[in-house]
Formats: sequence, C-alpha cells, structure tokens
Amino acid sequence: MDGQKDLTTIIMAGGKGERLFPLTRDKAKPAITFGSLYRVLDFTLSNCLNSGIRRIYVLSQYGSFSLDQHLRAAWDIMHPDLGEFIYSMPPQQIMVSRWYRGTADSIYQNLNLLQQERPQQVLILSGDHVYKMDYREMLDFHLSRDADMTVAAVMVPRQEASSFGILKVNAGAEVEDFLEKPAKPPGLPGAPGFSLASMGVYIFRARTLVEEVIKDAKKKSSKHDFGGDIIPQMVGRKKVFAYNFRDAAGQPRYWRDIGLLDAYYNAHADLLGKEPTFDLFEAAWPIRCRPQLYPPSRYLSPGGCLAVGDSLIASGCTIEGTVNQAVLSPGVRVGPGATVQGAILWDGVEIGAGAWVNRAIIEDGVKVPPGFAIGRDLEQDARRFHVTENGIVVVPNNVILEE
Amino acid sequence: MKTILVVDDDEAIRTLLQEELSDEGYRVLIAGNAREALKKVQEKALDLVILDIRMPGMDGLEALPRILGLKEGLPVILNSAYTQYQESFMSWAADAYVVKSSDLTELKAKVKELIAK
Repeated sequence: MDGQKDLTTIIMAGGKGERLFPLTRDKAKPAITFGSLYRVLDFTLSNCLNSGIRRIYVLSQYGSFSLDQHLRAAWDIMHPDLGEFIYSMPPQQIMVSRWYRGTADSIYQNLNLLQQERPQQVLILSGDHVYKMDYREMLDFHLSRDADMTVAAVMVPRQEASSFGILKVNAGAEVEDFLEKPAKPPGLPGAPGFSLASMGVYIFRARTLVEEVIKDAKKKSSKHDFGGDIIPQMVGRKKVFAYNFRDAAGQPRYWRDIGLLDAYYNAHADLLGKEPTFDLFEAAWPIRCRPQLYPPSRYLSPGGCLAVGDSLIASGCTIEGTVNQAVLSPGVRVGPGATVQGAILWDGVEIGAGAWVNRAIIEDGVKVPPGFAIGRDLEQDARRFHVTENGIVVVPNNVILEE
Repeated sequence: MKTILVVDDDEAIRTLLQEELSDEGYRVLIAGNAREALKKVQEKALDLVILDIRMPGMDGLEALPRILGLKEGLPVILNSAYTQYQESFMSWAADAYVVKSSDLTELKAKVKELIAK
C-alpha cells in the first residue's frame, strides 16, 4: 500500500460482550472461539495481514489476559526490526486515571501514541466482526474523496435495518446522519429497499480524528461512541463519507457482528455447505489462527459406516457417532451411538456414548455424560443452562453435568 | 470573582501574571510545578488555568489531560515561550495556545473570552 507508513491501525477489542454471556464471562469477546479453529479477532487481524498492514495496536480492556494470550500464541509473527508489530494496549492511565468510557475515549486516551506515530490517516477497526475486507480499497476511496472520515457500511434489507446503526447518506455517499437502531430506517439513494448499516470500521484523517475526540471528551452528555457521538458531531461540518462494502455486482458483501448468542450461532451456519455464505477455504484470503499440534482426526466405525455430514471438523477429533451440521474444534470426542446435530463444540469437548446434542454451543472441555440429552427438552435445559431466544442451548464449562 | 490558576516554574512570570491579572479583577492562585497545580485543581474552585509547558518534573502537556480528567470542561490556556508545541496533538486539548510575550494583550483577551463562555 502506498503511504502505508502514514497509516496507523487501531483495533478496538475492549468490549465486555455482555450479550454473549456466558461465553464472555471470563474472556474478551474478540478472544472467544469461532469457526472451529479461530478466535473472533483472527478475522480482523487476517484482514490486516491480507491488506498488507503489519503495524497494529489492539486496544484491550475487559478480559485483556485472554487477548494477550491469544496474540502471543497465534500472532507473534511480526518483525519489530522491520518496524512491524502487534501491540496489546490496555488503558495506560497515563493521560487520565480511568477505564475507556467508549470507543472515542479509547482514542483520546491514546493521543500520545498518535503523537509518537504522527500518521496521516488512522484506520479504526473492531475486533468482534466476521468478514473479509481489503482495507486498501477503502483507503483508496477515502483518499480519493479527500474525506475527513470514511465509515464502512453494508447494505441490509430495510425491514431488518432497525437492529443496526444506520447511516443516512446522499446520492454522493456523503453521510448526513447516524441513527442508532432507528424505528424507520432511511432507504439508500438508488436502492430504496436497503439501508446502510455502519460496520464499525472507520478511516480518519489523523488531524481530524484528534480534534474530534478532544471535542467529544469535553462533552459531558457524550457516550464517547464513534457512531452515536463522533459522526453526528462531524456531519455538516466535515467531509464524512460512507464506503459501501459490496461486490462487483453491487451485492452486499459478508459482514457479521457476532454480538449476540443467536448471531454467533447463525454465523456458524454460514460456514457450512459446499458453497458456504462465508468461505473459510478461499486460498486468496487465508485466515490465520493459532497453530496447534494435533494428530489427524479419526472416524471409528467397526463393521459399518458413520453418518457424518455438512460439518467442519478440526484435527485431533475422534468420531464414533453421528455428526451433522456441526462445527467441531480440535480434540473433540463423539462417542459410539452419540448424535451431534447443529452444534458448536469447542476444544476438547467429549460427548459420551449414546448422548444427544442438538442446536447447542458447548464450551471447551465440557464432558457430556453417556446418554445425556441437550437440546431435546428446552424447558429442562433452561433450568440448568442458558437458552437463547431462538432455542439455542449454551453449555459453559463451569458446570458439571450428571447422568 | 473569577479564579485563575497560573502554573509556571519561573517565579518572575508567576509574579507578573499574578499582578497583571489581579489588576484585571481576577483572583489569582499560583503553582510552581505541575504536581502542585494538580493538587490545586482538585482542591480549589477554579474558572481557568494558565499552564506553562516546559517545567521540570511533569511538563504542561502531561499535566493537561490530567487537569481535564480531574475537572471536565475547565478552560486551559497553554502559555509557552516556544511555538513548536502548537503542532503536538497533546496540546490540542487546550482551549488556547498563547506564545509568551512581554505584551500580555493576547493572553488577557483569551482569558476574558474563555471565562465569559
């Protein structure tokens, strides 16, 4: 990328992820397992790598140890002697003695970092989204418009747009307003059936960013949020553009915020099938994850065949039962006669012989006893586990299941 | 009466500003370094701070966000003999940057403007 040394990249990864509870009870949202092998943050970091960005600050706060651990185990690949780095940055308490109050405040608190770097442009990303994006294309757009701020946005059907932060834009893609979860989302000029949802991905002219976060820091009423506070503060005064994240045919490209348990579950279904909505097998856009040493997976069926289909199965698994529409992390065991259907099983989960698991998310290391049923009787499940609105059972690893 | 805190390690400047601003009808408190200034910001009811940048120990650019962290919205004027800090992002959080001069017209005008806000 031309002028890459003039770009500072900051990933926001400090959110508490309360709506993903219990998965986030002991770790940061970007550090939770996703898609068998990955942690959520791997998608954004891989986007950076695939976009030629190798100088990255990861702002952490809640559960920062889980992020540090992952960065060390999976992303210790940069060469500081070449000026490359991935730094994890919890609140420094140098400028002010407080936690990050919001996304804009986290930049304010790191003004000294921007002063050291003195970039021309700043790319601000979120660590909890699943998508593949070449940030160079967005930077080209931003520079071509001589924009103060460019907000990446994806088209969503207008009737579904009320659950997003929506950008109101004119025909020239200039942002006129930001509406948080609007009851009546505005249509997109030229495509009135769609609204533009902010992806929480921003490029700022560095000087403007500094001015705006300082201005915001002085506002008592502010929640210090880029979407809800900074964009409205800039609209009409500064050049704010929306970058429509779509393919050559004009169709919205894949982007998911996995902030809710049901969204987390549904995004896994997008990984499955011969032509998945979100393809992990695309050679041109590799997603990096933590390298782990496991033996090959084995499928044991003395005297017959196993029914295993439409699933992602990592290395080190032992499968002796039926597995369908499932995503299995490394080291999972599915016992003889057990059935796993529509489930997400994290590392080392053991499903006992004859057990039955349907539409569930099971955390690492959980041992489901032989004959046990999860996702068969939701009322009974709800007495022991968290059951989502859509009936997905979430089994954390701090419970002991009894036969 | 409005109260101004003058922070400067140079005693001559503290005295000069104290006299001149008192004549303008302000109550003037003084601090000889940033730590003393932070203590006064915490303890006293202030309407404005005039802050030097180059001081031993903690400098004015380090003290600025801490002052704002203690008292949100308190107006701060950076008052330095040097112009180069004007380009530092860290100085942008101040409400004004006035280069030191024997002529206090600009400083007094900024004080008046910010206190009237």
